[in-house]
Amino acid sequence: MPKTDERLDLRNAVSLDRPWITIVWDDPVNLMSYVSYVFRSYFGVSAEQAERLMLQVHNNGKAVVATGNRESMERHVEAMHGYGLWATLAKADA
Amino acid sequence: MQFEYSTAGGESAGSVTAQFEPVEIGLMRLAASQLIDLLEAAGTNALGTADNQTLRRLLPDAYTDDPEAAAEFRRFTSDDLLGRKVRNARCVLATLGEEPLDEIAEEPGDAELSAAASAAAAQPVTIALDPTDVQSWLRTLTDLRLTLAERLEIGPDGVPQLSDDEAPFLHDVYDWFGMVQESLVYAIDV
Repeated sequence: MPKTDERLDLRNAVSLDRPWITIVWDDPVNLMSYVSYVFRSYFGVSAEQAERLMLQVHNNGKAVVATGNRESMERHVEAMHGYGLWATLAKADA
Repeated sequence: MQFEYSTAGGESAGSVTAQFEPVEIGLMRLAASQLIDLLEAAGTNALGTADNQTLRRLLPDAYTDDPEAAAEFRRFTSDDLLGRKVRNARCVLATLGEEPLDEIAEEPGDAELSAAASAAAAQPVTIALDPTDVQSWLRTLTDLRLTLAERLEIGPDGVPQLSDDEAPFLHDVYDWFGMVQESLVYAIDV
């Protein structure tokens, strides 16, 4: 009979279910064509998907462009800042 | 000024080219140099970015609701980001070619020669960018526009609040950088 794994921590398991997200915010400076280009070239999404995300940023003020663990989201945010986009990360809504 | 994708083979394969007026090259050179000065001054005191609106826009907070995490993120990323921004601006400067020598004092009376010299100086110059240069240009143009937008006090609606004597010129430059950037995006979007 297998022993109970003492390392199993349900609280960690729960927090794993709530990932982190990368958010790109609308700003009055960056051109729509450039924002769309950044989504295409950095995240490797299709032109249609990039356009949809860009319009979401433009019309709703922000868009979630990536979901995952905190480290990868920090990497994405740093990359977005390198492109001059206004990006933040946060825990996804429960 | 319009970037076009080069269809030629050989060394210029995959590059984009555009014709720039000498005055436009001078403007790009001046703006990129000033950006480097700004970034290098910031680099010596990256944590002081909190007080500087322009730097706050170039290196925004990564966390909106956690100042401690935002400060830590800044501590770990700002040196790298500033360094990359400086390298991009230096790359832009390098692609603009040699800085022209100061104009040779004109010989009085030699009108023909000086006319020929100024005609040569006014000739458009072809700027060719390889894919790496293009990335530096796109990012530097963004950094320049963000910096100018701060100076022009451009609000969330995109309308500049600044109305001093310099505002019309700065706004023209801001728009022109946008045009150059858009032309680059379209040129590589093949």
